[in-house]
Amino acid sequence: MAEEKINVIWLQGQGCTGCTVSLTGATHPSLADLLTGYIPQAANVNLAFHPTIMVPHGKEAIDVLRSASKGELDPFVLVLEGAIPDEKLAKKTGGFWCMVGEDEGKPITLNEWIDKLSERTAAFVAVGTCACYGGIPHGEPNPTHATGAFTYLGKNWKSKLGLPVICVPGCPAHGEHIAEVLAHLVLTARGFLPTPELDEYNRPKFIFERTVHENCPRAGSFAEGKYSEKFGEPYCMGLLGCKGPITHCDVPRRGFVEGVGGCPTIGSICIGCTEPEFPDPPFSPFFKKTPPGVFVGETVGDLKGKLYALLHRLKPRVI
Amino acid sequence: MSQVKELYIEPMTRIEGHLAIHAVGDVKAKKYVDAHSYAVMFRGFEIILEGREPADAIWITQRICGVCPTPHGLASAQCIDMTYNVSPPPFAVALRNFTHASEQLYDSVLGCGILEGPDYSEPVVKKLNPDWWSKAEKTKAENRNLHGYSTIAEIMSALTPLSGSLWLKCLQLSKMGRKMASLFGGKHPHVGSFIPGGIAKTVTASDLEMFSAMLAQHIAFSKELVSAFDDLLNFVLEMGYEEAGKRKANLISYGCYDDPYSYTGKYGDLSRWGDSRKVSPGIVLDGKLVTTDLTEINVGVREYVNHSYYEEWDLKEIELDPLNNNIATEHPWNKVTKPLPKEPHKWDDKYSWGTSPRWHDWKNRVDGKTHVVEAGPISRMWTTAQAGKVKESTGNSIKFTLPKATVAGFRVPDEVTFEWKIPKSVNAVERIRARAYYHAYTAYVSYNMLLDALEMVKKGEAKVWSEYKRPKEGIGVGLTEAMRGALGHWCIMKNGRIRKYQVITPSTWNESPRDPLGRPGPYEDAIIGTPITEQGNGELNGIDVVRVVRSFDPCLACSVHIYAGGEKKASKELSPYFNI
Repeated sequence: MAEEKINVIWLQGQGCTGCTVSLTGATHPSLADLLTGYIPQAANVNLAFHPTIMVPHGKEAIDVLRSASKGELDPFVLVLEGAIPDEKLAKKTGGFWCMVGEDEGKPITLNEWIDKLSERTAAFVAVGTCACYGGIPHGEPNPTHATGAFTYLGKNWKSKLGLPVICVPGCPAHGEHIAEVLAHLVLTARGFLPTPELDEYNRPKFIFERTVHENCPRAGSFAEGKYSEKFGEPYCMGLLGCKGPITHCDVPRRGFVEGVGGCPTIGSICIGCTEPEFPDPPFSPFFKKTPPGVFVGETVGDLKGKLYALLHRLKPRVI
Repeated sequence: MSQVKELYIEPMTRIEGHLAIHAVGDVKAKKYVDAHSYAVMFRGFEIILEGREPADAIWITQRICGVCPTPHGLASAQCIDMTYNVSPPPFAVALRNFTHASEQLYDSVLGCGILEGPDYSEPVVKKLNPDWWSKAEKTKAENRNLHGYSTIAEIMSALTPLSGSLWLKCLQLSKMGRKMASLFGGKHPHVGSFIPGGIAKTVTASDLEMFSAMLAQHIAFSKELVSAFDDLLNFVLEMGYEEAGKRKANLISYGCYDDPYSYTGKYGDLSRWGDSRKVSPGIVLDGKLVTTDLTEINVGVREYVNHSYYEEWDLKEIELDPLNNNIATEHPWNKVTKPLPKEPHKWDDKYSWGTSPRWHDWKNRVDGKTHVVEAGPISRMWTTAQAGKVKESTGNSIKFTLPKATVAGFRVPDEVTFEWKIPKSVNAVERIRARAYYHAYTAYVSYNMLLDALEMVKKGEAKVWSEYKRPKEGIGVGLTEAMRGALGHWCIMKNGRIRKYQVITPSTWNESPRDPLGRPGPYEDAIIGTPITEQGNGELNGIDVVRVVRSFDPCLACSVHIYAGGEKKASKELSPYFNI
């Protein structure tokens, strides 16, 4: 049995295309799996608009967005990559910050497309920290007053399916995070899976519940009090500025491309790129240590863990 | 019926970022007579960077572009090495090279196969150049023993998005390049390991082994990629594409792939380490190499904003560089970014978020004037071929042998010798060909760098970082090559913070609007004079313009460090997007 076709409309705002590149590196599932899927429940997904990979250009491309805003591509999932600027600010001098197509010589701004398409969309997925919370473009002093969809549409905004903005942050978002969330939503829309559970910043918990620190292969060094004091050493990167304890992400465990990589995993530092404040404090300066409060909490948790481990040892074997 | 048709292409798709093109085609004379290229998105990186800790720029500037982040990371790391006055150990330079080369491998196959290739794929050719198709079916592919496609039509079919075998292989190999970059960078896009004084990587015994295994795939694939593109592009040239996107050979390259023992990060040594790069720096004017001196090239960089949405500046922060060369007001060390958003299409006024970089022949090698120079793989292949600085350079070609590599799924395990020859002209076809050959040259250089790195390990030189004490004041420049060409970062530090940070990317050079002398930028220049080959029903689709612009492999977020686009007029109906 064939499921109803679901269109995906991928808009790019103030972004760098890094999330798209990241998606091309997704493996389980891959972009091709997503688009050519052989499991009927997850198949029949059509990438109707994506500036970086679509074949048509110019008007032919923009006409896809026009059809979508008239309802001709329902049901569709709207994906945003890149931040949303404040066009009122640019208008003061008669200009624009971010244009996606023109109409009779007048720019159509990204914001106009978001306003139009968000009314009809079955789900809104913000891909990457820029699209979620503003990311790099909203870094102080935020020259274009950029925000992400979480702020632009608001935490209480609901799609046609009754879903809030789903945030898949990361700079860039991990390719598999994007692919998994999109696949999940397709299955949600078709009634096979429940709505993904979200955290306070609308990040799916099945990916973002735990911190980099909890997912870090070097966390054992932390527990033993072994810290890298110079780059190149194989221990906890906390002294050199790693923001693992205050960043929610599973990349240290998952790796970045087919299991390879992971920021503290290879000896770099986490800079907090999945968090709403990124790239501003407490995440920058990037070499600055994580605020001490976090370490107090960590240490208390650690001592508690040791105590439970001791009590556990005292229990008799049960099988 | 009017002879002249105006075409607005926005969005320009299958490129990175927000680019729009205005082109005027004379349908009777069958060529384009005018063009404007405009960037339509702004973020303001240079403003966001002010006041931050300089090292943070290494991470932040990579976010300028998610397609070519690593060169930004490298240019920034070199710029901050200099600003902080720290020299990385040789092994760190080698690992930075590996990370950089990995990205070039990914990016060249992405460019050839995924971004530009589809323009020459079966569905597009059948629709817009049906006369090519029938000829392609009959034309035997000369290199079929290498790539396995018997006719040109088969290569075109293989480039069809989502189903073509070459397209799919390019997708797979682009992922492999990014996996190699993640090995030393932690992630890609936006590698996390580049730091002042070296690289934040704990090197393990398995790293170089993994790298070599993954590199073998690129070496094996390159033999197919280059041979297939050679055949395809020769055919396209025969179809009358010699004039498409043609410009005078005015080129710029900063060079890249540093010699680990020459690179010091000190301004006084810039010319010396530039000279020892595996890809040579150079300026080519009208086909002739006029200099290879990286210091001279740096001092000659200018940036103008008369047709860009920015205010002018007159402040001169730096009078002299550390070697007492005079630094112009228009040099990036003195530039100030002051955005001024304005309406589009004012061709006589400001019309783009991109700026107009030009190169000033300040040593009067030719005429002492500024020049519109183009960046890209064709530029660096050209400078390397003419410079004679590396043993592969013959004066008019680069000749090298890809080593033996037996990899399942690839056709050619044996050694293959390639020779990239300086072409008759710089045009759309030759830009793409240079990109394919650059993939092979990078695979070849990476292989040799790997052998050198093993020697370093043998000698016990595996230190990855030089500790430093951050000074309060400093000045830096980082010059390298992104896939799309010459990339420069400039920094001035005061009180341990960024006072000024400027970036000029290759796409800024290429997509630049008119300059104060009214000279068009390279995209504009390349479109003007391009023949109209499409066989339409009177409506212009603009495929020839699009092919020309895509031959530069635009990377727009880079060039504006922000933009977006608009459209107006083209052909009929939507349809051939990916409908699976």
